[in-house]
Amino acid sequence: MNETRADMEADPEVAPEVLKARFGRDIARDFDLDDPMFNDRFDEVLTFMVNKCPISFSKVGTGYHLVNTNEQVRRVAQDWRTFSSAKGYMPNRPEGLPYLMPEESDPPMHTNWRHKLNPHMSPKVIATYEDVIRQDCNVLIDTFIEKGECEFISEFGALLPGWAFFKNVLGVPIDDLAMLVEGVEQGTFALPAEERPSHMARVFTYLDTHLKWRATQPKRGDVIDTILEGVIYDDGTEAPWDHKVSILVDLTFGGIATTTFVMSSAIHYLAMHPEVRQQLIDDPSLIENAVEEFSRVFPPVIALGRTCTRDVEVAGTEMKEGDFVMLTWGAASRDPRAMEEPEKIDIKRETILHSTFGVGPHRCIGSNLARLELTTTIEEWLRRIPEFSLREGTAPVYVTGFLRSMRELQLVWPK
Amino acid sequence: MRVKIDGEHCTGHGRCAKYAPNVFILDDDGYNADRGNEIDVPAGEEENAKRGMKSCPERAITLVAE
Ligand code: HEM
Ligand code: SF4
Repeated sequence: MNETRADMEADPEVAPEVLKARFGRDIARDFDLDDPMFNDRFDEVLTFMVNKCPISFSKVGTGYHLVNTNEQVRRVAQDWRTFSSAKGYMPNRPEGLPYLMPEESDPPMHTNWRHKLNPHMSPKVIATYEDVIRQDCNVLIDTFIEKGECEFISEFGALLPGWAFFKNVLGVPIDDLAMLVEGVEQGTFALPAEERPSHMARVFTYLDTHLKWRATQPKRGDVIDTILEGVIYDDGTEAPWDHKVSILVDLTFGGIATTTFVMSSAIHYLAMHPEVRQQLIDDPSLIENAVEEFSRVFPPVIALGRTCTRDVEVAGTEMKEGDFVMLTWGAASRDPRAMEEPEKIDIKRETILHSTFGVGPHRCIGSNLARLELTTTIEEWLRRIPEFSLREGTAPVYVTGFLRSMRELQLVWPK
Repeated sequence: MRVKIDGEHCTGHGRCAKYAPNVFILDDDGYNADRGNEIDVPAGEEENAKRGMKSCPERAITLVAE
């Protein structure tokens, strides 16, 4: 294990030509999140990075650092004064992409909004959605159980998080879900990246219209009313309209894309591991712990960025004011310095430490909702379809950038 | 056993209360209700408290006395 830049440079396994021979590129000094090799050899690359490269660099665009260990990711994520979110979380941000609040803002503005929004997303409030989510799981399963097969992503995984979020939190009609999911997907993964802003714009326009309409309606006391009420910033000004729309966009973004990946990966894992499935069926109280372990090893948010507000050193690397730094959550969650046998998937793990939902003040506001959706999905799936497997001759299809997503998962079970 | 919950670093992951519900209580926002303070861990709850501490992604809970 290497602790600093100097250790890494002295390690023959991290020599540029050795990396080029093994990975097709020097992933320590010239990493690319969008490289198809990363998509194909995801676990291997993340494990290599966390062990061998406490810090790595990308030359893509204007370039960025990647911080990969559990301890350093935590330090950088907590130090928002030095590592600001206000210039965005995406490396080489395409022109014309509006900033998302609260994600792309710093305290105190960020704190103003989080104080306002947190009560809507607390474990206590989220727990009241359980019955609706459980019912939705069954409505979806009913649509395909008799067939003895399904394509999990389009028939369940991409739908449930949207339903859960739209019905319970946003109160937006689920008929428009497909359009929004598509907009969010394309806004994240479309290539060339210059096309992404136009897809995002669709989502903004839709939610802007929705928010305007809600402003004319009687109050419901939900999160939308809270957003409409707005906040007063520390300088005494009121949050402008575009900040309110952007809060709604950020929530929608988080609410629909990410949970699908953990869910699909968990179901895929269970399709491949009948013995783990049986453990969960025999003792459903293990499911919550399993969800935590699945969240650790199947991270949908691989890395998000910050901008240095001053010169600073991280793991022996000098960073300059203005440098862009990615926090590799996915690597930090498999750091052998912080946990035992990180490469092993163990649903009975005693303590599960991970950074899948982020670290620091921007900790995922939807984490409680996501956990409930995942737990409920596994409970209901195993109850209704205890025996299932991957369709022979198929394999899940992945796409990876700073996010990771599964596009296809073919399942079959006895009719 | 006595532990301290850091007031700035607790950001409401809620892991502590999952592992040690008799030690760590969450407030209405989902953050550790005792953040900024030290608390005594009730006898018999030490192991749960340790699991909660170790799974806090912020390392916001630290040991003051065994
Ligand atoms: C398994 C599912 C999910 C994962 C892995 C995930 C991951 C993350 C991560 C890593 C961050 C940190 C951002 C940063 O540090 O810059 C974040 C923030 C955020 N997430 Fe999630 N998320 C998930 C589900 C959700 C859901 C269901 C929602 C909405 C209901 C949501 C809404 C948000 C929002 C609004 C933020 C910004 C918070 C802030 O900046 O204060 N996420 N999420
Ligand atoms: S696990 Fe840590 S961050 Fe989360 S509520 Fe408990 S103390 Fe706070």
